[in-house]
Amino acid sequence: MTGGTRPSPIAWLVAPAALLFVLFFVVPFGVMAMMSFYSGNPVTNPNAFATTRHYERFIFDTAGIFHDALWSTLRIGLVTTVVALLIGYPLAHWMARMQSRLGHALVLMAVIAPMLTGIVVRTFAWMTILQDKGVINTLLIQWGLIEKPLPLMYNEFGTVVALVHIYVPFMVLTLTGVIGRIDERLEQAARSLGAGRFRAFVEVTLPLSLPGILAGSLLVFALSISAYVTPSLMGGTNVLTLPMLIAQQVGTSFNPNFAGALGVILLLVSLVIVVAYNRILARLSGEQGMA
Amino acid sequence: MTSAAIRLEQVTKTFDSRVVAVDAVTLDIAAGEFFSLLGPSGCGKTTSLRIIAGFEHPDSGRVHVGGRDITDLPVHRRDMGMVFQSYALFPHRTVAENVAFGLRMREVPKSEIARRVQAALSQVALTGLEDRKPSQLSGGQQQRVALARALVVEPPVLLCDEPLGALDRKLRQQMQFELKELQKRLGVTLVFVTHDQEEALAMSDRIAVMNKGRVEQVGSPTEIYERPRTRFVADFIGEINILEEAGVARALRPEKIRLMPPGGARLAGKVETANYLGGSTLLRVRAADGRSMLVRETHVGERASRAPGDAVGLTWNDHDAVALEG
Repeated sequence: MTGGTRPSPIAWLVAPAALLFVLFFVVPFGVMAMMSFYSGNPVTNPNAFATTRHYERFIFDTAGIFHDALWSTLRIGLVTTVVALLIGYPLAHWMARMQSRLGHALVLMAVIAPMLTGIVVRTFAWMTILQDKGVINTLLIQWGLIEKPLPLMYNEFGTVVALVHIYVPFMVLTLTGVIGRIDERLEQAARSLGAGRFRAFVEVTLPLSLPGILAGSLLVFALSISAYVTPSLMGGTNVLTLPMLIAQQVGTSFNPNFAGALGVILLLVSLVIVVAYNRILARLSGEQGMA
Repeated sequence: MTSAAIRLEQVTKTFDSRVVAVDAVTLDIAAGEFFSLLGPSGCGKTTSLRIIAGFEHPDSGRVHVGGRDITDLPVHRRDMGMVFQSYALFPHRTVAENVAFGLRMREVPKSEIARRVQAALSQVALTGLEDRKPSQLSGGQQQRVALARALVVEPPVLLCDEPLGALDRKLRQQMQFELKELQKRLGVTLVFVTHDQEEALAMSDRIAVMNKGRVEQVGSPTEIYERPRTRFVADFIGEINILEEAGVARALRPEKIRLMPPGGARLAGKVETANYLGGSTLLRVRAADGRSMLVRETHVGERASRAPGDAVGLTWNDHDAVALEG
């Protein structure tokens, strides 16, 4: 504490959250980061020695899969985020500007309801829709529009479709809060000054909602690059993301040290992307202190 | 600067197909006039203004500006300035960018924008604050930016929705003078919405008093104050005594009543309460017949000395008691 100020009593209410964060994030991450620099488990194995070989293994990538897994993770994360934003923004704008309270409640229910069913259930639902003998392909073949089923899943496309569906609510809820706080009269002022509806939106509401776009995008990006269940089920053997690779290293290859290195790499790369994204948006909005 | 006449013709607007906000309103506002829409909240004054601005479309009736029917013209093509009660300044833009907005939408060349923004800011005495954000300005300064932003495009019509409502009393009075002077200098037609009768009386060339979506009376401030046509207008503006004589209601302003000794007066009574207001004292007099009358005693020289309990006589001229319709 600087300047001799005492923490407010309210600060103690943060303690449980702080404790959880330390116990279940800082400590495990510290252990994982430490493990990633050892050849084995230094507690149980007296022969374990410090090494950077896990990182070298990733960087030189002689097997030729690690870099691809990283790119595919980031690609899926970025595409999911952009699509979720494109779908979520108009919906959030509509909700935020809705006059009727009942209408607002109904749309909110519709947005939140899918979240009640759980990720696995929703992913299986997408499988029944998108697989070769699924709803879409069966119908298209019946109508004679196509002869062979379209490759709608067991690839990145199917993975992104399911991820977008699962994470759009996070985007919508974040954006609705921010857009709802923008005074409608600002857009009206812009229109009275000669801007058409769309121009008024682009000049006023869009830049003012950048903090919401930023928060929603980061949330969806973070969730989709760390997703495991959906890419595994929807991607099949054709998609390999870092979380899947990490699970393999822990569960099948019994190499928690390399898994730790992959975890650190995923975190660092996503941090770099997050900071860059933040900077770009801050510059676009011209607002100081957003980054 | 050019100015334009505005004509509302039988304009009606209903919300949710139940609430009639504006009910067959017809108004003729002359070019270059300072015209106020005055009334209590919910009387339809703001809706009328928003219909002129184009934010609301009337269910029926037409709106003409400068002789042209603009009822179906979108907001951004109407070429009107608007000042909102909350100012509605763009918080993410500087003062200069706010003021430049309308010029930018009209694709005015950059060098000319800079020149006109400067001129507009000096007109409202804000030179030197170009690079501030609205949040760094006081309420009065924000108000001026909003004015400069609306006026820089030289609109023939300026619409103001309770623009001084958020200012404290002193500043409001100062802005009243400034706005009126600015309006006269530019010659712009100004439609001013307010619920503050003093403000309307002080600033307007003419006032339309509205009640429940209808126009009760249109006239100069003197006409509205001295010759109210309806009970509502008489009651809404200033203090009033309503006298019922032979089935006719008459409105009598407290300052039209003279105090005299009880003998030979039109009405005799006792002072119940005396509210000292500085320049005058407002007395409530209970007449012998039980009626309660408001009397304004103007202080010339020393403060007058009527106190509660004093017996007084009241008298007035017949032509000061104005007959009301309904």
